[in-house]
Amino acid sequence: MANFVQLVILGLLAGGVYVAVGVGFGLVWGVLNIVNLAHGALVIVGAYITWQLFTALHLDPFLTLPVDAVALFVLGYALQRGVINRIIRAPLLFTFLLTFGLNLVIINILLLIFGSDFRSVTPTYSGQGLEFGSVVIPYVSLTSLGAAILLAAALAFVLNRTRIGLAINAIAADRDAAQLVGIDLRHAYAVTFGLGAACAGVAGGLIAMTQAITPTAGEPYTLQAFVVVILGGLGRVSATVVGGLAFGLVEAFGQSIPGSGSVFANAIAFGLMVLVLVTRPQGLMGRLR
Amino acid sequence: MNFRKLALLGAAVVVAAVACGGSTSPGTTTGATIVLGAPLGLTGSLTKESTLTQQGYNLWSDWINARGGIVVNNVKHPVVIKYYDDTSSANQSAVLMQKLITEDKANFLLGPYGSAATATDAAIAEQNQIPMVEANGAAQSIFNQGYKYTFGVLSPANKYLQGVLDMAATLSPKPTTIALLSADDSFSLEVADGINTYAPTKGMTVVLYKKYKNGATNLSAEVQAAKAANADIVLNSGHLQEAIAINKAAKEQKLNAKIFAYSVGPSTPDFITALAADANYVYDGSQWTPQVKYTPAFYLSVADYVAAYKAKYPGLGDPDYHVAESTAACLALQRAIENAGSLDPKKVRDALAALDVTVFFGQIKFDSRGLNIYKPMVVEQIQNGVHHTVFPANVADAKPMYPTPSWDQR
Amino acid sequence: MIATLDSNRRWRRIFLIAGGIVAAYALLAPLTSLDAAVSANVPLLADRLWFRIATIIAMFVVMATAWNIIGGITGYAAFGNVAFFGIGAYTTGMLVAKAKWPFLAALPLAPLFSAAFAALVGLPLLRLRGHYFAVASLGVGVAVGELVQNIDYGGQPLFGGASGLFLPIYSIDNRGLYFFYLMVAAAAISIAVTWWVLRSRFGYGLIAIRENEEAAAVLGVNTTAYKVAAFALAAALTGLAGGIFSQWNVFINQDNAFPIEYNVQMILMALLGGTGTVFGPAIGAVLLQLLIQFLGGSLPITFDIPFVSEAARPIVAQIILGLLLVGVVIFVPRGVIDFFGGRTRLSLSYLRRSLRETSL
Repeated sequence: MANFVQLVILGLLAGGVYVAVGVGFGLVWGVLNIVNLAHGALVIVGAYITWQLFTALHLDPFLTLPVDAVALFVLGYALQRGVINRIIRAPLLFTFLLTFGLNLVIINILLLIFGSDFRSVTPTYSGQGLEFGSVVIPYVSLTSLGAAILLAAALAFVLNRTRIGLAINAIAADRDAAQLVGIDLRHAYAVTFGLGAACAGVAGGLIAMTQAITPTAGEPYTLQAFVVVILGGLGRVSATVVGGLAFGLVEAFGQSIPGSGSVFANAIAFGLMVLVLVTRPQGLMGRLR
Repeated sequence: MNFRKLALLGAAVVVAAVACGGSTSPGTTTGATIVLGAPLGLTGSLTKESTLTQQGYNLWSDWINARGGIVVNNVKHPVVIKYYDDTSSANQSAVLMQKLITEDKANFLLGPYGSAATATDAAIAEQNQIPMVEANGAAQSIFNQGYKYTFGVLSPANKYLQGVLDMAATLSPKPTTIALLSADDSFSLEVADGINTYAPTKGMTVVLYKKYKNGATNLSAEVQAAKAANADIVLNSGHLQEAIAINKAAKEQKLNAKIFAYSVGPSTPDFITALAADANYVYDGSQWTPQVKYTPAFYLSVADYVAAYKAKYPGLGDPDYHVAESTAACLALQRAIENAGSLDPKKVRDALAALDVTVFFGQIKFDSRGLNIYKPMVVEQIQNGVHHTVFPANVADAKPMYPTPSWDQR
Repeated sequence: MIATLDSNRRWRRIFLIAGGIVAAYALLAPLTSLDAAVSANVPLLADRLWFRIATIIAMFVVMATAWNIIGGITGYAAFGNVAFFGIGAYTTGMLVAKAKWPFLAALPLAPLFSAAFAALVGLPLLRLRGHYFAVASLGVGVAVGELVQNIDYGGQPLFGGASGLFLPIYSIDNRGLYFFYLMVAAAAISIAVTWWVLRSRFGYGLIAIRENEEAAAVLGVNTTAYKVAAFALAAALTGLAGGIFSQWNVFINQDNAFPIEYNVQMILMALLGGTGTVFGPAIGAVLLQLLIQFLGGSLPITFDIPFVSEAARPIVAQIILGLLLVGVVIFVPRGVIDFFGGRTRLSLSYLRRSLRETSL
């Protein structure tokens, strides 16, 4: 029983990271119709920023998360405004290919700057946690989950309560009508992508604490973002939160299958995603678009 | 640009490319320089390990060229190692291997990094009948194909963690139960199989054997299962990234054991810098450590090798075994060429098959498949942030700090 | 006006002739490596490296052309076609390595199995549109690769597992020549099939589905049957390439039979050349693969990047590749086939125009 509870907790805690990775990806896909294959690379950029600040200035990694957000927002804004905006009106396929090229560029620039060594952020309180009998809740994972929920809440706030957020919603509903009422599409698109990138940056800061990072370590996160967003459903931040937590649970229980069960983790995740797409494309909670 | 010019330029390029491709004639080089070919994953997911491999190759080529080259029948042949980046793709490695053979006229080949690339390249070496000596593909399946032109200087995969069990058998109180976690790539699975077959011979039982996806970043469920198994020894067969993740999760989830040993990872400096104090007490099975005491027949002694590495690559700490085994591959080739007294690929291949020499890396001798089953693995432990060799006793420079204290007591 | 038409036609003729010469050279040069030619003192125009690269190029021609059928002509951008490559490779691989079939007997089963699998997953999958279909096919592509590597039977990996499948080295003379022509034959079949599709009623139906699926259904096109057939056809051709690959490469495992980056590459090639056309994907495959090989250093031409150290060169080469991809997608969205057809000229105004069409 304690084992079961521990697995549930581990799943939810891991889900925190997946939420952070998914909300940015889902925002860009849901509003801009852009499937960003460079999302994982942006996550790793955030991770490196956190690592650099931790090693050079000994800043607590959680304090570097806002820095990650701001830096990645600027990067994302610039990318969208300068590059991705050029193919918005092209068929959907083109964004796949463009972001694939961007992914290649970002990863190799990171390789040039940081080299291929594996780095990790290990704060002094790493490994400690709350203990209830044999069930453990590590501090780092708990705070990460909290940070991820906070991030999702902040994003939802921006989208629903600010002017630019309403503009983004308008674009998501009907792009041309939004332009007709005077919304600056270029700016709004760039802000949206910037927000998505900022979320990726925060996610990067979180993963720097739990694993070792190297420039190519972002690929799995792009794939996971797919699954999280499809599971939860495109369209609302809360849907992605559900998707992220659900994915964390699926992974935790999938990996606890005795023997070789967990080698099928990827197959299960993607099989589940395909199943959801085919049977319930709006995901667990989303709206069909 | 006027498109007409572009078209003519394009046509010229294509024709030139094909013409260049065709104008070189087949045949071995009889000139003074020996060309060695080495495709490596200098970009892509295997960059870190490939860089270490390249360092190992370069250390040797600097040394041999400082001496004028490899001596064959009183003629000195300087050495050039030609590198290409296969972007960590095994298919691309095959293309580059072929280019090295056909265009660059490589006399001999040095292995790439990784078992997948090594398997593909071994087939090409076989088809072109050019000897390839490799140091970074330990999967035995490559050597079970009956290839005659591929030789591996490193101890095979199944031995990686067996040394840990040998050491454990000498400790008291003797640990008896093992929780074994393994990534699902071919190398890690062979290491794990090596434990499954070896443990009973040492009076130990594997109470948990869990495989996970290669490259997984979240291993908390596996660590949880290991915790539930309550074993004396926790082994991980995987790579650096997973070793770090498992160690972190072990601390978080309070997984305690008398011995933590990981097949790959703890030997690299990155492990210690990433984990700080949490890296202490961890053991690993290593192909080589700077504390071994082999007496070399030629080339540098262990101490001189470490010094040479630090001189050429300052700030990186001691060389880890990936560097050392790569150098050993070059040494094997060099000695085989000298023994053969010729640059003919077949003669050198026969000389490799008959080779038996001890260098700073250990004994280099190949069984009938081309695998070096004669060199033992050593066991290291990280003690107070520093690597120490703890087993076997004749090469150890410290005693194992056993048992590993629980996380709360550190 | 008439002058422009004439000059367009002239350009098209020039390109066709040039293309024909290059193609003839590419196809006939390998014959100079035959023993008969060597003893007749014919200069050697193609060596083993040439064969390896040329066979890879031909392989991508097959894959890009096959993808074009479902992605370009039917408008369903599948993102997981590498699954069919892998299925084809493993079908032939298992038959040759484990069941000891002769290679040529095992080869036809590769396209068969791939097509069957495509038909099976295509039925549910092709009900999705746009991004959803693309992502779902990506999911299938990844899942298949994972399953093939990890499925056990009786405690042993069923398909060779992580150590992969080793096939016996095919024992014939002139192995490089043989596989090159085999792959070229597959490429020719793919192009011929595409040509036939575009001229048939089937093809018109597919184009109708691409342009407006509802209208096509209303007009009596059995959209489900047509889509699944196109998907299965694309899968069969891709599977054929995979089958040839397995014996040619002698070793297959999840990494080299299901490489995820091939998904993007085959789409990029079709895009670069021109989707929906007969020769577009083939041209795109040749150009992009030559570029990739050039930047990877495997062509006999070497280049130097100024201001970059030796160690950083491969990394910078990858950055250049990424930037070129971005550039192509932005500035040449309809593919280069337009230029080869003589209909348009590569000029600054063309680039500006394409940019304006797709930008925000």
